[in-house]
Amino acid sequence: MNNQELLYHYFSNSLTPEQESVFKKLLETDAEFKAEFEFEKGLQKAIKSHETDRLKAMLNEVETKINKRHNTVFNYRNLAIAASIAILFGWFGYNTFFSTNYSSLYEDNFTEYPNTVYTITRSDDANSIEREAFVAYETKNYQTAIEKFEALSADETKDYLNFYKAQAYLGMDNIQEAKGLFQQVVAKNESFVAEATWYLALIAIKEKDKSLAVSYLEHLMANYSYNKDKAQALLKELN
Amino acid sequence: MHRVQENITVEDLKKGSELLFKRVYEDNRNHFINFAKKYHLSQEDTIDVYQDAYIIFYNNVMQGKVEEFTSSITTYLFSIGKYLIFDKMKKNKKTINPDFDLSLIREKEELEDMNLDLDQEALTTEQVLLKKHFATLGKKCQELLTLFYYRGFTIKDIIETSEYTSENVVKSAKSRCMKTLKERINSN
Repeated sequence: MNNQELLYHYFSNSLTPEQESVFKKLLETDAEFKAEFEFEKGLQKAIKSHETDRLKAMLNEVETKINKRHNTVFNYRNLAIAASIAILFGWFGYNTFFSTNYSSLYEDNFTEYPNTVYTITRSDDANSIEREAFVAYETKNYQTAIEKFEALSADETKDYLNFYKAQAYLGMDNIQEAKGLFQQVVAKNESFVAEATWYLALIAIKEKDKSLAVSYLEHLMANYSYNKDKAQALLKELN
Repeated sequence: MHRVQENITVEDLKKGSELLFKRVYEDNRNHFINFAKKYHLSQEDTIDVYQDAYIIFYNNVMQGKVEEFTSSITTYLFSIGKYLIFDKMKKNKKTINPDFDLSLIREKEELEDMNLDLDQEALTTEQVLLKKHFATLGKKCQELLTLFYYRGFTIKDIIETSEYTSENVVKSAKSRCMKTLKERINSN
C-alpha cells in the first residue's frame, strides 16, 4: 500500500490497526508525508467550514420564511379578534374605547433627529452645498434641505445623507419618501442604522401597522442600545 | 410534526436531502426555544445557539460520527445547545451560580461520551486560504473533495453514489483537483 492509499484510508476512517501503526511511523519519519497529511487535514477543516457556511445560509432562509409566516398569522389573528370585538360593541364603541391611538403614540415619540454630523460655525465661510443643506435642515427649511441633499447624494463617502434626507421628508410629513430612504439606510447598513430602525417603527405606528412596528422595535432592542427604554415603553403600549 | 420526526433516521439525513435538513430544523425549533427560555437569552441569541447546535449535530451526522441515534434528535440538540449556552455565558462572564463550571464540565463530558465533535476552533491563516481557493474550484471538484474529506467516503462509496465509474477515474479526478488547488494556493 502506498502513502496515498494510507491517506485515503485515514480520511475515510478505514485504517486497519496494522496500517495505523505504519501511518504513525511515517508521520514521525517522513517529512514529506507529514506535510501532505497536514495539508489534507487543513483542507478537511476548510471544507467543513465551507459546508457550515452553506448550511447556515439555508437555515437563515428557513428563519426568514418562519418570520413571514408568523407575521401573517399574527395579522389574521388580530383581524379576527378585532372583528369579533367590533361585532360585539358596534363599530363606534370599538373605535372609541379599544383602538390604540396611533397618531398620538407617533406624536408623543417623534422628535426630529438633530444634526450631529456637520458643524456649522461662523468662521466656516466655505459655503459648501453640504453646509447650506444642514443650515436649511436646522432652520426647518426642509424643501431646500432636500434639494441640497439631492445635489450631494452622488458623493458616496457620506453615508449619512440618506438618513438626514429622510428626516427632512419626515419634517414635511412626506412619510412614503422618508420610509424608502430609511429602508435604504438599514439595507445598506449605512450610518444611523439603529436610528433609522427607530424611525421606521414610528412610521409603522403612524400607518397603524402594529405587527411591523413591533418587529422593528424588537429588532432594535435586540441589536442596538439606541432608544432601548423608549422602545420598550412603546412595545408595552402596543401590546 | 412529531410523527414525521420519529420516522427520520440517521440514514435518511445522511443522504444529504436539503428538504429533510430544513424539516428537522423546523420540527425541533419551538421545542428548543422553550427549552432555552430558562437561560434568559434574547430571541436572537437563542436562534443563533439553536442554529449552531443544529449545524454541529448535522456535521457530525454527515461525517459519520453519529452512527445510530442512541438518543433522540431532540436530546442531541438540547445537549449541544446547553453546552453552547454555557460556553457563551462563560465568554460573557455571566456566571449563573457557584457550581457553574462544574456543570459545564459535565456537559462537555456528556457530549464527548456521545462521540460528538464540537470543533469550534477558528481556522488558521492557511486554512482560510484553503477555504478561499476551494471555493474557486469547479463544482465537480468541490463535490468530489467534499465526499472525500467532509463525508469521509471511501473510493468505493464514491463510485456507488456518483457518476464515477471506476477506482482509477476517481483517483485521477481527485489528484487533478488537488493539483489545481495547490497551484492556486502557490500562486496566491
